[in-house]
Amino acid sequence: MAPEPGDELLRVEDLRVHFPAGGRALGKGRDVVRAVDGVSLSVRRGETLGLVGESGSGKTTTGLALLRLVEPTSGRVWFDGTDVTALRRRDLRAFRRRVGMVFQDPFASLNPRRSVGASVAEPMEIHGLHREGRDRRVAELFEMVGLDPALRRRYPHEFSGGQRQRIGIARALAAEPDFLVLDEPIASLDVSIQAQVVNLLRSLQRELGLTYLFIAHDLAAVQHISDRIAVLYLGVVMESGARDAVVGEPQHPYTRSLVSAVPIPDPERERRRERIVLVGDVPSPLDPPSGCNFRTRCPDVFAPCGTVEPLLQDTPNGNLAACHLHGVVGREVPRSHHPDSTQVAEAEGRVG
Amino acid sequence: MSEPLLEVADLRIRFHTRRGVASVVNGVTWSVRPGETVAIVGESGSGKSVSTLAILGLVPQPPGEVSGSVRFEGRELVGASDADLRRMRGNDIAMVFQDPMTSLNPVLTVGRQITEALELHLGLRGDAARRRAAELLDQVGIPSPDRRLDSYPHQMSGGMRQRVMIAIALACDPKVLIADEPTTALDVTIQAQIVELIDGLQAERGMGVVWITHDLGVVAGLADRVLVMYGGQVVEEAPVSRLYASPAHPYTQGLLAALPVLGEHRDELQTIAGLPPDPSDLPPGCLFWPRCPKRLDARCQTERPVLRPAGPDHRVATFYDAGSEVASGA
Amino acid sequence: MGAVAVSRQQRWLAFLRVVVANRLAAAGLVVIVLLALAAIFGEFLAPYPPSDLDVTSRLQPPSGAHPFGTDELGRDVLSRVIVGARVSVQVAAIAVGISLVAGVLTGLVAGYYGGRVDTVLMRLMDVLFAFPAILLAIAILAVLGPGLTNAMIAIGVVFTPIFARITRASVLSVREEVYVRAARSLGASDARLIALHVLPNVLAPVIVQTSISLAFAILNEAALSFLGLGVQPPRPSWGRMLFEGRGFVRQAWWMAVFPGAAIFVTVLSFNVLGDALRDALDPRQKSAIEARGGGGPA
Repeated sequence: MAPEPGDELLRVEDLRVHFPAGGRALGKGRDVVRAVDGVSLSVRRGETLGLVGESGSGKTTTGLALLRLVEPTSGRVWFDGTDVTALRRRDLRAFRRRVGMVFQDPFASLNPRRSVGASVAEPMEIHGLHREGRDRRVAELFEMVGLDPALRRRYPHEFSGGQRQRIGIARALAAEPDFLVLDEPIASLDVSIQAQVVNLLRSLQRELGLTYLFIAHDLAAVQHISDRIAVLYLGVVMESGARDAVVGEPQHPYTRSLVSAVPIPDPERERRRERIVLVGDVPSPLDPPSGCNFRTRCPDVFAPCGTVEPLLQDTPNGNLAACHLHGVVGREVPRSHHPDSTQVAEAEGRVG
Repeated sequence: MSEPLLEVADLRIRFHTRRGVASVVNGVTWSVRPGETVAIVGESGSGKSVSTLAILGLVPQPPGEVSGSVRFEGRELVGASDADLRRMRGNDIAMVFQDPMTSLNPVLTVGRQITEALELHLGLRGDAARRRAAELLDQVGIPSPDRRLDSYPHQMSGGMRQRVMIAIALACDPKVLIADEPTTALDVTIQAQIVELIDGLQAERGMGVVWITHDLGVVAGLADRVLVMYGGQVVEEAPVSRLYASPAHPYTQGLLAALPVLGEHRDELQTIAGLPPDPSDLPPGCLFWPRCPKRLDARCQTERPVLRPAGPDHRVATFYDAGSEVASGA
Repeated sequence: MGAVAVSRQQRWLAFLRVVVANRLAAAGLVVIVLLALAAIFGEFLAPYPPSDLDVTSRLQPPSGAHPFGTDELGRDVLSRVIVGARVSVQVAAIAVGISLVAGVLTGLVAGYYGGRVDTVLMRLMDVLFAFPAILLAIAILAVLGPGLTNAMIAIGVVFTPIFARITRASVLSVREEVYVRAARSLGASDARLIALHVLPNVLAPVIVQTSISLAFAILNEAALSFLGLGVQPPRPSWGRMLFEGRGFVRQAWWMAVFPGAAIFVTVLSFNVLGDALRDALDPRQKSAIEARGGGGPA
């Protein structure tokens, strides 16, 4: 059942987040980690955008930057028509009421010294909601996420991972947000528990009309929950489009290899299918390759890849892909950064 | 068929804790032959890792208590002396662990850590050891191995470190390689590299490989036989293609249905309600009974099912009969 | 709020359970309770008024009438030890209170905000830390003048850096915890984050350090009084008594030995109790081990 194609709720334009490498305050002219290096996204009301990437792709940092939990270096984030990057302190708090976040590690994301009920009530305290009957509301939220409300007086260490993740979701929903950033919400759970949490998220979305940004490394899970998918590599969106188009007919060599690397729980199909095994590792975000970030591992690399930074462009099946195979479109890299030929050839050698 | 290299029979492990006795492994039997890959699949708390630690005598006793039998080429390992076990570890049976970040010593170079194993078991020293170490790094696909010998673990990526761990495991030509979630901490594209690497090394050397994982997806592509563990018991055992085509245990069926599959869209994932059993308070009957969607009569609640044949090389521990499904209309 | 009260109760119960289970800690607790009683009701408990001179019974060895003997002016040593507890406890409590508040605040601010604030505050603490404690206290007293109040301030200043350091170190790690970030994602202010999410989670090492510092404060007061910079005669304090008794060690060992023993037992008690506190303050780990039983490395 496809959700109504709503209007745009979140729009990210050329977001960049650069961190100084190593310790801080040790003088200028230091190396910079380009964690997010020009990400543009758009999420419509009521839909789920899946943001997939491997470690170091900048997917988590992107999620944090949307809520200004880390400060963007440049770029704009529009939420329901307001520019989040320009918000002042007080307005930022009001904005954070409308956007909830669920974190990966259910063991670390709850304060061990507060009862789980107190944690769920916290957003209401912060924003002065439900002054009367706050406890009643906490009980409601517990029921909503499938937990016994009587458990709300207990402490986090008394719960299993799946239960804690439910508590994290209840907390994120307490201030009645429109939008949830879900940062790897199922990555640290067992398979049978993952399915419970995914189903819960989907039913909550239907009931409450929520919009999700679902961040994960697991393409199979992302595909299951998302309407559209964006694929991130080394801080840059490589491809984005409708779920089935991205998974079924990937237009970027990186997406293609990612899809082919996901194991399929069916020995017959697994044996038959052709696998593209990428060579080498993800380059360091301290020193990303010139031109296309993926060129050091790309099976289809050719001349312009080292000299022109590809931009997202339309492809035949409607996906957007940042790849010169669909026509060389992008910004020319300054002369001094041109790679020498050996660098392109020795793709293997790049180790972070 | 060749003789099994490693045979585990009725292995049981209990831990004495302040809250009582936790029965973590409850009678596990399996074996692995040369050139064969056996996958042990289970969720956290299923006992899959502890049971393999016991093979190498790595379960601390006390508080642990190990009984049953583990035989390597006919020699009994349960109750063997520390010295015998130490000779066995790394030499005949080697292990690769999940986390390549913490299983290498951060203050020693990679070369030093490989030559240590060579020195310990083969008596190789100096240049000979270094040459052999470089060979090993080359075999596990690390570029410019000579240079890499002088690197420290933090100078390498996760995938590289896992390759180093594999090189260390292979240093003494083990006959059995136990890989405990070796790809779990790695990205999928790197995971594919490691699976391919171990596959190739196995074909070359004819090792028996025991692959422990929670991921039914990875297993499909690499195992010959699969054991599914739940609550410290093997609940199902079958050749890989048979297990995926006709899983007989409700737990296995549930796990497969709960898995999102790339390229297939399911509107709702099936779930397994509830939580795994508490090892210090196991139910008297079938361990899966409280969560089982197919549970039958009082028998499930009072009697613990044992493995019974369910097809060629296929055994399952349940009273539920998948074949009778249609007949009974359940 | 009900939940919070329950938790506090539970934590005290856990603490008491650990103390009872640990004989040594139980003994320490008993000593400290006795000490507190002596500090409050000293005059009523003492067999003689502590400053009463009795020239007829000077330098008497311990006996039935004077269990700890008498000093060179014929004062009862037991009574003076009991009453002297007040000065020791008062100095220790107030001095450590000063350093606790100043140190924890400094550590919180430095650790939470980081950057230049951190650099300035912590370098200041390093400067204080670099001096030997007693030398710094003497220097401060040289400026402020001798006396009990100034001694408390001096000791308080001397002990501040250790609290600042311990707090900052914990804040640095707690600040990065996901639950702090989660609370910020909900719109929590800095004040709320510090008070509710950071402070309670850095307190465990601070509380342990408090018990250790109390012991050292008693020692420092004794040293300062011994040097004549702390409490002024005729008020008794353990350090003062040690100072006065040192000239008579050959003729009247009891004059120095009993106040010395009082210091020793008190310091030991605080240390033992500090160790027990450390165990009691981590209820998470204990119950986590219990809950997971022998789950093993899964």
